[in-house]
Amino acid sequence: MTIDHVLTLLLVVPAFGLLPLYLYRSDPRAVKQVAVVTTLVELVLSLAMVAQFKVGEADFQLVEKAAWLPSLGIRYLVGVDGVSVLLVPMTTLLTFISVLYSSGGAIKDRIASFMAAFLILEIGMVGVFVSLDLFLFYVMFELMLVPMYLIIGIWGGTRRIYATLKFVIFTLAGSLVMLVGIVAVWLASGPEGSRTLSLPDLLLVRDRFPAEFQFWVFLAFGLAFAIKLPMFPFHTWLPDAHVEAPTAGSIILAGVLLKAGGYGFLRFALPLFPTGTQLWLPVIIVLSVIAILYGAAVSTVQKDLKKLVAYSSVAHMGFVTLGIFVLNPQGAVGAVLQMLNHGFVTGALFLFVGIQYERTHRRVIADLGGLANHWPLYTTFFGVFVLASLGLPGLNGFVGEFLVIVGTFQFGGVPLGGLFWGPLAAIGVILAAVYLLWMFGRVMYGPAREHYAMLPDLSPIEVVCALPLLLLTVALGVFPQPAIAIIQPSLDRILRLALDPTWQVAVR
Amino acid sequence: MNDIVAITPELFVLLTAGAVIVADALLSRAAARTWLPIIVTVGLLAALFAPNGLAPYPSQAALRSYGVFFGGFVQVDAFTNFFRALFIILALFGTLVAPTYLARKQVPAGEYYATLLFSSLGAMTITLATDLITLFVGLELMTIPVYVLAGIQRRDRFSNEAALKYFLLGAFSSALLVYGFAWLFGITGSTRYSDIANVLRTTGLANGQTIIALSLITVGLGFKAAVVPFHQWTPDAYDGAPTPATAFMSVAPKAAAFAAILRVLVSAMGPLAVDWSAVFAALAAITMTTGNVVALVQTNTKRMLAYSSIAHTGYILAAVAAVSAGTASGAAVLFYVFAYGLMNLGAFACLLYIDLEGTRGATLDELNGFSRREPFGALAFAVFLISLTGIPPTVGFVAKFLVIQPVLDAGYVWLAVVLALNAVLAAFYYLRVVVHMYMYDAESGAPALIPSRLLSLSLGISALAVVLLGIVPNTLYQWALGAAAPILP
Repeated sequence: MTIDHVLTLLLVVPAFGLLPLYLYRSDPRAVKQVAVVTTLVELVLSLAMVAQFKVGEADFQLVEKAAWLPSLGIRYLVGVDGVSVLLVPMTTLLTFISVLYSSGGAIKDRIASFMAAFLILEIGMVGVFVSLDLFLFYVMFELMLVPMYLIIGIWGGTRRIYATLKFVIFTLAGSLVMLVGIVAVWLASGPEGSRTLSLPDLLLVRDRFPAEFQFWVFLAFGLAFAIKLPMFPFHTWLPDAHVEAPTAGSIILAGVLLKAGGYGFLRFALPLFPTGTQLWLPVIIVLSVIAILYGAAVSTVQKDLKKLVAYSSVAHMGFVTLGIFVLNPQGAVGAVLQMLNHGFVTGALFLFVGIQYERTHRRVIADLGGLANHWPLYTTFFGVFVLASLGLPGLNGFVGEFLVIVGTFQFGGVPLGGLFWGPLAAIGVILAAVYLLWMFGRVMYGPAREHYAMLPDLSPIEVVCALPLLLLTVALGVFPQPAIAIIQPSLDRILRLALDPTWQVAVR
Repeated sequence: MNDIVAITPELFVLLTAGAVIVADALLSRAAARTWLPIIVTVGLLAALFAPNGLAPYPSQAALRSYGVFFGGFVQVDAFTNFFRALFIILALFGTLVAPTYLARKQVPAGEYYATLLFSSLGAMTITLATDLITLFVGLELMTIPVYVLAGIQRRDRFSNEAALKYFLLGAFSSALLVYGFAWLFGITGSTRYSDIANVLRTTGLANGQTIIALSLITVGLGFKAAVVPFHQWTPDAYDGAPTPATAFMSVAPKAAAFAAILRVLVSAMGPLAVDWSAVFAALAAITMTTGNVVALVQTNTKRMLAYSSIAHTGYILAAVAAVSAGTASGAAVLFYVFAYGLMNLGAFACLLYIDLEGTRGATLDELNGFSRREPFGALAFAVFLISLTGIPPTVGFVAKFLVIQPVLDAGYVWLAVVLALNAVLAAFYYLRVVVHMYMYDAESGAPALIPSRLLSLSLGISALAVVLLGIVPNTLYQWALGAAAPILP
């Protein structure tokens, strides 16, 4: 069965949930049902979208277009290729889990507004991954901002207002600079009357972008993506935002929002500005390795459980940028897999930190301990995700990081070459094992503590939330080949576009 | 006869103003409060849909109505119609949000509506002008009622201060403007835009006299639009005036000032564009930065919005400076002015929910917990603030996008970057209001709320328009493009 206009449907289904949410706003039960059903429909729809995707093709599929601002050559243009097709179901799955978990009692105040924010957020997140027009992409990129701002600011922890303003100001600073870059690209795309912001059209005229122009425009785009990702040294908003966000907010923030940065590099920055990529590549490689080592080192000394997971994200996203910018197939595939894996695993880690916090009301590692005695089920799940996060072979975290490191070893560019950066990145993996296992030992093991004895183990709803993530973690770890087969062709095309500035490709 | 038909919308507004004065004299005070807004609404809607077509884009009827009338003193074209429609919409909006506030503060209703209508009439006259004399009549007809509006709350000392400051500086700027017009007449021998343009095309900026004329006119119009460093009257006037009056006067006179800037500087003095555009670019950067930086430290929402409206002048001025980009520059000005009108009037009007002493607006702390106490008003306020920040999917974002585009095209890359960074500054203080409304809980001493259905209805419609125009901006943009064409072909 094929569904027509499936990508547009994906963008409007969450909006349909808003009206019943408003009508039943005073009835928390109905609100929860509406939100869960809407995100479930969205999840099923995204899986149907993947089923319609033809594996092995590099080009965009399921493309839909319509005029939007015709006099400016701006179109509504959506489509997916191998790079984005898996990120969409990842988004819908994590949103569904967040909504389901939050409806289990984690959010008590103003639940209708909370769910509405999540549905709008979902439109933005799916939109970012399917937009093929820079204007549309920017709109979607920013659409994610306000709901997340409200989610952190209203339902967050004690320092939520500082955290949420910092998050918004950082992100907005990056994206407004990108807006100037987008307009510059539009002006450079041709003479008046034939200007465009559609990626397929821009790819045909990208040889008109001179080197100096690419240098600055890549900087404008790269700044937005680097802040979103976040890359060292733009990461300082992340620990604050993650720590203060409610559990569902942290899951989405880590699981999906950070990916928008890495995805933006792959989708727009690399193919459109090959020369700019080469000019900025050394800087990004160095910053990525710093992020890996710095993130790991800082995680090691964290006293706060949530902050530890947050800083580990900085390290993990370092692997994503490293993998992308070594510009070879292994690194790039590793980077995309790392984005997916980090979504599932870190999303799950935040979920479990949240579950734990909701019961014990403690997040400082030193206050916890001996939880394994009371919560066997929790310990099992949490243990698997911790092992996946540190890159244990057989679980998904290993595949991405391994491929990135292999790619880094083959990297021949400046400065210093892959044989220097590869081992450094590998040290990051070892450090991850140190801080994650150390944390796990201190939180879960040790003598049983009396006052935790009465706290219940995972509830059925929490198991339902965690189980799909667990299955994906194992499946992608043991058998990553189907995912790689989907990703590879499109990624090869992006790499060729990035490496060969003169290559012309006619895309849909 | 043709002459009279050409100005049908203006006549309707004038008749409505007359009807308001007569009705105010005949009706009892209570009846007047009920009936006057209805009379104004009907009159303005009649003007909006007048037979001579203010239809969104040039319909056949509208095209037929274009031309030069009254012996060349008045011109009707797409530009005129765009602004006529905008001013009528703003006057309508300014009327609908007011009744509850006027009743509560014992502001005389008849005077309020009549001055508002006369001011709108003046603003519409500005866009009709093809001649410096018509323009000046329009400018004065627009601003003098606004002085009255600012001071209409006679017993409030801030309202008095606002009116006096606005009047003194406004009169001063008008004097400068007339002096500039006089110089221009002396140089070119005509007050007609087209003749002025023809003479300047041959002479250029050859002599000191032209520089004097240009500077005086720039300063005079800069006062009206609140360009830094001619903005000093703005915060006190906006802050002290009764809030519905502030909402109106923060948008309509500014829009009219930009209409005048486009007609005089861009159209009539267009041959000098190369000389003044760099100055305007610098003024734009100073204006937006000053407005935003000062707004950043305000704790009173009304004053904060007053400074932020200065910043918006800067954004619009940036598009004016990009005149060498052609029609796109004019269209950006028009689109921004329209968007600004809707969202800024709406933002000020949202303060009307709160019952405050005197005329001055709510402090940030008084807005705490606003979202729980008045969920709908808070949502509308948040939408306007997000739009003013320039975050999609709102019309404010599209407006910023459209401004950046000619600015880059004209080669002012630095100005585009300054604009983007300014938007970040603005985000900080706009979103801080959202923080107070949504993320803090109300304290016991919070001022009472005055719920008003009419206010909620008009804010709801305009907030919806702000979002819808952000998602489907094409119609408005086409209209703006068409309207900018007569100015900047």
